[in-house]
Order: sequence, then structure tokens, then C-alpha cells
Amino acid sequence: MASERPGPSTYPGRPAISPFTAAPQTTMPFLSSGLVVGSEGSGYRANTPAGFNGPSMSSPPSAYASPNLGTYQRFPGPASTQLISSANGPPTGQPVLLPPVLPSTGQHVLAPPGSFHPQPQIPSVPMGQPPQSLNLQPPRGSFPSSPLESSFIAPRPASQSSLHGYPTRQANLVSQVPPVQSPPFLAHQGGYVSPPPLAAPVGLSSREQMQHTGGGPPVGGIQNLVEEFQSLSVGSAPGSIDPGLDFKALPRPLDGDVAPSSLANMYPLNCHLRYLRLTTSAIPNSQSLLSRWHFPLGVVIHPLAKAPDGEEVPIVNFGPTGIIRCRRCRTYVNPYVTFTDGGRKWRCNICSLLNDVPGEYFAHLDATGRRIDIDQRPELTKGSVEFVAPTEYMVRPPMPPLYFFLIDVSISAVRSGMLEIVAKTIKSSLDELPGFPRTQIGFLTFDSMLHFYNLKSSLSQPQMMVVSDLDDIFVPLPDDLLVNLSESRNVVDVFLDSLPSMFQENLNVESAFGPALKAAFMVMSQLGGKLLIFQSTLPSLGIGRLKLRGDDPRAYGTDKEYAIRIPEDPLYKQMAADFSKFQIGVNVYAFSDNYTDIASLGTLAKYTGGQVYYYPGFQSSIHGEKLKYELTRDLTRETAWEAVMRIRCGKGVRFTTYHGHFMLRSTDLLALPAVDCDKAFAMQLSLEDTLLTTQTLYFQVALLYTSSSGERRIRVHTAAAPVVTDLGEMYRQADTGAIISLFSRLAIEKTLSYKLEDARNFIQQRIVKALREYRNLYAVQHRLGGRMIYPESLQFLLLYGLALYKSVPLRGGYADAQLDERCAAGYTMMTLPVAALLKLLYPRLIRIDEYLQNASMKIDDFGKFSKSLPLAMQSLDSRGLYIYDDGFRFILWFGKMLSSDIAVNLLGMDLSTFPDPSKVSLSERDNEMSKKLIGILKRFRESNPYYYQLPQLLRQGEQPREAFLLFANLLEDQSCGTSGYVDWMLQLHRQIQQSA
Amino acid sequence: MDWSILSWLLSFFILIALIGIIIFQLMCLADLEFDYINPYDSARRINSVVLPEFGTLGALCFLFLISGHWFMFILCLPYLYYNARMYMRRQHLVDVTEIFNMLNWEKKQRLVKLVYLIVLVFFTIFWMIWSVLDEDT
Repeated sequence: MASERPGPSTYPGRPAISPFTAAPQTTMPFLSSGLVVGSEGSGYRANTPAGFNGPSMSSPPSAYASPNLGTYQRFPGPASTQLISSANGPPTGQPVLLPPVLPSTGQHVLAPPGSFHPQPQIPSVPMGQPPQSLNLQPPRGSFPSSPLESSFIAPRPASQSSLHGYPTRQANLVSQVPPVQSPPFLAHQGGYVSPPPLAAPVGLSSREQMQHTGGGPPVGGIQNLVEEFQSLSVGSAPGSIDPGLDFKALPRPLDGDVAPSSLANMYPLNCHLRYLRLTTSAIPNSQSLLSRWHFPLGVVIHPLAKAPDGEEVPIVNFGPTGIIRCRRCRTYVNPYVTFTDGGRKWRCNICSLLNDVPGEYFAHLDATGRRIDIDQRPELTKGSVEFVAPTEYMVRPPMPPLYFFLIDVSISAVRSGMLEIVAKTIKSSLDELPGFPRTQIGFLTFDSMLHFYNLKSSLSQPQMMVVSDLDDIFVPLPDDLLVNLSESRNVVDVFLDSLPSMFQENLNVESAFGPALKAAFMVMSQLGGKLLIFQSTLPSLGIGRLKLRGDDPRAYGTDKEYAIRIPEDPLYKQMAADFSKFQIGVNVYAFSDNYTDIASLGTLAKYTGGQVYYYPGFQSSIHGEKLKYELTRDLTRETAWEAVMRIRCGKGVRFTTYHGHFMLRSTDLLALPAVDCDKAFAMQLSLEDTLLTTQTLYFQVALLYTSSSGERRIRVHTAAAPVVTDLGEMYRQADTGAIISLFSRLAIEKTLSYKLEDARNFIQQRIVKALREYRNLYAVQHRLGGRMIYPESLQFLLLYGLALYKSVPLRGGYADAQLDERCAAGYTMMTLPVAALLKLLYPRLIRIDEYLQNASMKIDDFGKFSKSLPLAMQSLDSRGLYIYDDGFRFILWFGKMLSSDIAVNLLGMDLSTFPDPSKVSLSERDNEMSKKLIGILKRFRESNPYYYQLPQLLRQGEQPREAFLLFANLLEDQSCGTSGYVDWMLQLHRQIQQSA
Repeated sequence: MDWSILSWLLSFFILIALIGIIIFQLMCLADLEFDYINPYDSARRINSVVLPEFGTLGALCFLFLISGHWFMFILCLPYLYYNARMYMRRQHLVDVTEIFNMLNWEKKQRLVKLVYLIVLVFFTIFWMIWSVLDEDT
């Protein structure tokens, strides 16, 4: 087993050469103790945390520098004389972490008088960091990071794993576990740790016994056992009446999404985390281990994520050689394959089959077994590459980029101004449509009839053909409905110019959406492409007409509840399947403020890799900018056409479920008619074999697509992850962002077949189970009593769980979100990449009035100056101006007492005298302050380019908008029947404890 | 030839037909799982025989009812009820978009049906022999 633990898991350098000579020894003893020890893994992990680079900078010195420390008093109370006789020398790395950090608050009792006194050497404890205020993310590797006031202690016993303070545990470890470490954090927690009754003596004896009998050379020496978890004391402090938590001390992801870097350090050849994120970078080696990890095990893939300049994915063209792939498992050549036999063979890293190297690809190996041409081969040095695919990868010639617009021209579309904005935006984007000069384009408008447009290049005016027979739809022209944009550019321009005026007087209220969809399908089925649907009323005529089944408050809470969130008419699913089959991707833009049945319309996007944009109550004067930006982005962003995606992984593991917008074409092949750089997909893994024997598991995502330039390409991302035997390691390596992303998708899918409440409970239960499991790993050893513990990697998970609980698709019941909004948000969250999702779940709240007023601060300083605030009412000060940014909109909150010159400068009027702030629009004015604000907004938008954030102004005390827009989103507060952050923690804690 | 034997014989053949339909559906699902056919074809084939399956079962029940084989009729009722319920809820057809997510469930459901039908076949054979012997004596 020791050997199974891949060296890499510990140290950044891949090779298993551990910096600690003693390490191997340590591992052995642990082995037989198996999982009982829980934290054994921590032994090696010494420097995963960024802080630890050297073998043992921090804690051990304390132990070693003072081998004769003798004993420390760790527990107040009579029984607590745990003395460690260090007769044997160093081994008892007893990290007495706390002394230097002793908080001044009197509560942390350290070594009560009368017991053993810490020896003078103690102060040499290196990790004595100055107590850090209430920063909850203790810098990894620092010790008792933050002795926060009383309640929140993050005793990251970072230094030492601890198992041994505890008699019961020790009993079976005695002979095996040399490195004696003690639970480090206890001292300063005085009151919270229940004093170990009687335990100490036993512990003592067993420890001595251990030292004497265990005999082996004390290995704990250099080892720097780092154990990372944080804990939160939840009220059960003896004698404490206040059950509360320190609100300020709770962990908050104020820095947004921070991807864990340990895996990237361990396997530098992996593709970047922006493309692929594992929910935990440590794969369990057995099913039983997996079953104890209660989070989903899987990956979140963002195959076309935008890379910053200079890091673009290299394009590799093998030319006539053909793409090098494994014969058996079809894996693409990647940095983890190994060349043998003088370079004539290569071994597949996924199925370990020995393949021949084709003659043209042959290169000699150097003394270390590396190919001599490795520097010229990006596919062997980079985790992400793009292969140019030869004709074998084509079923038909690569299709041209094709855009077909299906536009509702009924009265509401015209009145709201949607039609005009859409026409203008399309026209302005024509020059930037990808794939010039092959791009094809076509239009179809509909109300109670269908209007086709002949855009033939020889015409000077587009010809309109009206089809009013909705029962038997036919396409009036065989071709020329779809035309080459560069040839027919003039006609298209004329058409788009005249489109708004053509229907200016239209009074038709009907919508023959279903027939129009069929017609669009007939037009497009030859080539495939992207279908953009602009719909502003409920489909009312012909096939696919939908009822105002609406939002029935009585349905909520019953078993029938889910039915309102799934498509009403099976036609939509059927159409979606057909679209997918013919390589048509659908994006739905919905505009009505009345019920439009997004649940049904969105289905079209769901199975075709599309996306749903929803603009409730669209008015061009207000939402025009947003629509314009988002439509432009949709039209001009990097798009992959007629794509399929497959993810391969090593033996013994299989991807079982897939979550996102796509259609499964076979058990593991995702069909994506049109996929772009804003879509992410999630999938879950399961173990097929009961025991994995490999040390490393490889994943390879391959996206085969046609680029806009008409080239068939394969984008391949390869990643490796260590296989571990230890549950603690899995939790330590967990990635909150990926877990939350998977959770949100699972929960949203659950709302389609169960009640909202069930979906919420599902999340809560999973979190509780996982933390309970984690607690069982450590609580006993650390005597955590009433404390809540969680790994540092998951410190924000609880908050994100709460955010998910309150997110639009899952929150409350009938009254808490409109059905359409709920469904639209659900569809959106199913495609969002991790960072954007986290931003949506825990938005930024920033105070900006000081910055605006201070003339000396420039926009570049803003990043340093501004600080995200907790999302709670108490962050708001009535003298301030705040921006709330969730990636989809900005809310500017003007405090009541905000000095009026800010409002005047920004808006040109005093907000307090203006009757309706919702009508005020924000535009750049000719003064410093306004320019600064616009600068900030611009900067924020750049950080989240997927959507356009429309600024909404809000004045303090302006009900009900304030409650609805902002307060409902301050998720740390209690609001209408949902718990706040503190309650949520207490609630979880209670549940965790129930059967812990 | 007695009416009773004839009815047993008839119901036996109907049962065999039902089993055939179920096995056909299972084969489609298995083919899909091993990637021999695409989900569109698989769903189309399965869906094309779902209603015949329901109809055949209805006919079988009707036959049991009019031939007075109460016991067998009651034995068939749960199956009939299940089918009717699926039909009422519009869940009787395989959904091509979700077919892979539902694959296990669809297979399990059809396997249970298969076992159920085989039990029915045994009963039918038993009664058939019984009635033949009955007639002889």
C-alpha cells in the first residue's frame, strides 16, 4: 500500500523522491493500521500547502530544537498531564503550537499554573505568527492561524498529525506508529475542548510504551505532518450560554474562485485548471473509500475556455502521418505516454498498451529516455493541444458556420422594441461573424403565419413569402432561404434595415412557434448550424402550442410540483433530439414578462448544447444594451461546430453520468451541435473495479469539432491525478468550486423530477454526510467535542451550499421566484463555468463611495483598495454607495445619508428627490467621479464577459424593490423563512453531530 | 376439443408473443448500450412496439376474463394496471433525449416484466395440462 500512494501526492516534484529521507519509513508503519488512522496521509503531505516548501520549516523545529522539552501541559484540568517523556529522543514531535500566538483574550488557557510549564525553548516555535486578525483563511501552513476571538478557532494543526494523543486509538497503533504527534491546537482553546478525563494517563502510558516498544528509529523527525482542517466552535463550549457563532469569523470566499493549485504543482504537464477541474485531486482507490466520500466524484470540463494571451492552445498538424493514437483505447498521444525500445514504441498511459511509433514520428531517445525532439512536440509537453484532423474524422465536408434567425414579430415583440434591437445588433455583428467568407445566414419571422425571406444575391430587395397553412408546413423555396453572407451581404443589409419597419404596424398577437420551428428545421437540416430563437409570447398556434399552465401555488409542495418545470409538450423534446441529430444548436432568447413557458422552450437549448437568455419584461430602453451585448457575444464568440466530446479515463474507472447541455449519442459520447467558449460540462465518475491498482489515474477529454474556419480539429486536454488510499487526503485535495458546480447541476436536475424541497435537502444531506464522515476521521483524535470541523479545502463549501439553497432555481416555493425565472436560471446554471457559477452564488459587494470621492486614487488602485464585503445587511452603511455584482447585473445601492454630490455627479440629479430610481439610467458624465464609476463597471464586466451586467439603481429604503432586488440576495441574512449563514452553520452542525 | 383447452392454448401463444416483444425491446436497449445502434433508432424501434405490447396484454386479460379464468385474470391485473398508469402519465414511450440516463431503469423494468410473463407462462402451461387431464378423466 505504501507504494500505491504515489509520491506525487505529496510533493510538488513528481518523482516520488521525498525530500524527507525518513518518509518511507513512516509510511510503512502506518500501513497496517489502515484507515483507522485516518490522518496517516497527512504524513506526506507536508508541503502541499503553499506555505511549506522546505521539508519542515515550521513545526518540527519546535520539537526538535528542544528535544528535552519534557512535557507540555496541554489540557487544562487535572487529568491533562500528558507527559511525553522524550527519553527516546526526538520522536515525540510535540507541536506545541500555540504559545506565541496566545491571544490576549483571556479565554485561551495555556498551561495553567501548577502543571508543567512550558520550557523556555518553546518560544523557538517557529510558526509563531502574529495573531492574525479575523482572517479566516489562515495562511496555509501557518500555525494556529487565527486565534479569533473565542469562538472561532482555526486550529490548523497544520503541523502535526495527531493521532496519538488518544489512548483508544493508540492501542492498536502502538507498535506501529513512531511519529508521535500530539493534537496541536488544544491549548488555546481552553474552554472548548472537553478535558480528556482519564484519558491522559492512559495516553501517557501508551505513548511511552510506544516509544519504548515501538522501538524503531524515530522517524517523525523530519516529517512535517501537516493536517489541515479548520474548525469552528459551535456553541457547545462548556459553560457558554451563547450558542452563536462569531458572525465575522465565518469563512467567506471574498476573493472569488480560487482553484486549488496542488494538482497543477504535482503534475505540471496537466492541462490548465480552467479546462478541467476534478472535485478532488485525489482519486479513491476502492469503492468502499469512494462510498465514504459523500461528495460527487467527477470533473467539470470547460473545453473551449478562453485562454489568456500567450497561453493559447497549440495547434499540431501531423500531416500524412495521421494522429498518433493508442490502438486499443484510442487515446491521443499526450505528455504522459512513455517511449521505450529506443523510441520505436510508446506505451499508452491510459490502457498501458505498447504501440508502435510510426516511422515519420520516430525520434531517438536520450539517456534519460526522453525523446530528443520533445521540445518541438507540443503534444508531448503540453496538457492541452489541438490536432488538425484528417479526413477520417469527417462524416461530411466541414460545414460552414451557419446562423439562422427565427424571430417573433407579433405585437409584443414590436412594442417592446425587441425586434428593432435584434435587427440592429445582427446587422452590426455581420462583419464579425466567424468563418468569413463561408458563413451562411437566413431568417424566418413568424406571428400567426410564417414569413420566409429569399435573400438571393442577385436580388436587390429581399423577397418575402408568407405561408399561412400551419398544419402542413412546407418550405416555399428549395434554396436561397439560406444564403452565403458575403455574396448576399447587400440583400441581408437591406432586409435587416427594413425588418423593424416592416412589422411596425403588426397587431397580430398570435405565435405559431411550433410550425416556425419545424420550418426552420427543414431549412437547416441540410447543413446544421446555429438557430437563434427570439420569442416574446407564449406559443399559441399549430403544433407545440403551450397552455398557460402557469405557476400554480397549489402545486408547490405536492408530488406533482416538478411537472411545471418540465416541458409540457413532448414535441419539444422530440424536436430537440432532431435538432441535435442534424447538428443544429439552438439558443433561445425569451422576452415576455408574462408566462412564456421557458421550461418547454429551454428544452430545445438543453439538448443541443445551447443556452437560454431570458429578459423578463423586456423594454428596449432599459434592457437594450444587455440584449445587444449578449447577442453580439453569442454571434461572434469562438464557436465549435458539429462537435462531439468524449472523456476517457484509466482502467477501473468509468464516467457514468453527464450533466449539462448536450445530448448523449452513445453511453459516453456527448453530441454538441454548436459549442462555444462559455459552456462547461460536468460528469461523474464511478469505480468499476473494487480496487484500483494503479497509482495515477489519467483523464483525457477530446472534443472533435469543425472550427469556424472550416478545419476539422480535435482539442485534447489531458490530466493526471493520484490515486490514494486515504480518505483524509481526498478531503484535503477537494475542490470546492468543482463540487459546487456538480452539486448545482445535480440539484437542478433533481428539481425536474422531484420537489424543490427535495433538491435542497439533497444538497444539505450530502454536505452533512460528508462532514460527518470527515468528523469521524478526526474528531475522536482531536477531542473536538462540540466543534465543527472541515477541511481547509472545503472551508467555503458550507457557504456555497447555503447560496445554492437560496439560488433562484432552488429557492423557496411559489412566491420566491417566478416560474420562468426559475427555469431560465436553472438552464443558465447548467452551463456556467465554475468561476462564473461561484460568482453568481456568492456575488461581490463592494463599497465604492470613498474611492469615488478620493481624487487621488486611480482605477488601477481600485483592485488594491476595494474589498469584497460579506453579503449581509450589516455590511451596508447608509452613508455609502455599494456595488453588488453577481456576474449578471450590477445593483448600485445608494445609502440614505450618502453625500448628495456623489449622486449628483453620477446621475446628474439628486436621487433622494427623484421619484423612481428604476427609471434612472447610468451613463458617463463629464466629471471625474462618473468616469471612475464607469471605469469600475467596465473592469467588472471584463472579469465576467459571458453576460452583460446591467446596472440597476437602488435607493435605500425604496420598497419593495430593495427587498426584492438586493435583500433577497444578501444570503447571509435570514430572509423569509430561510436561514442565515449563522443559523445554517448551526443547523448543519447539529445534523452532523446527530449521529457522529 | 374443449373450449377451455383452446383458451389456454390461445393465451399461451399470446404470452409467447408478449415475451417476444419484451425481448425485442431488451435487445434494442442492449444494442444501444454497446453502441451498435444510435439512440434515435433504438427509441424508434422500442416505441413502435410499446402500444402493441399494451394492446396484446389487454387482449390477454380480456381473454382470461371471458373464459372465466379468474385467478389468471387477477394475476395479470397488476401488470395491466402498471401499463395503464404509464400510459395515463404519458411515460410509456422511451424518451430519446434521456434514454441513456434512463437505460438502467428501462432495462430493469423490462426484465421484471419478462420474469412476470414467464411465471404467467408456467401457470398457463400448468392449467393447460390440468385441463387436458381433466378432460381425459
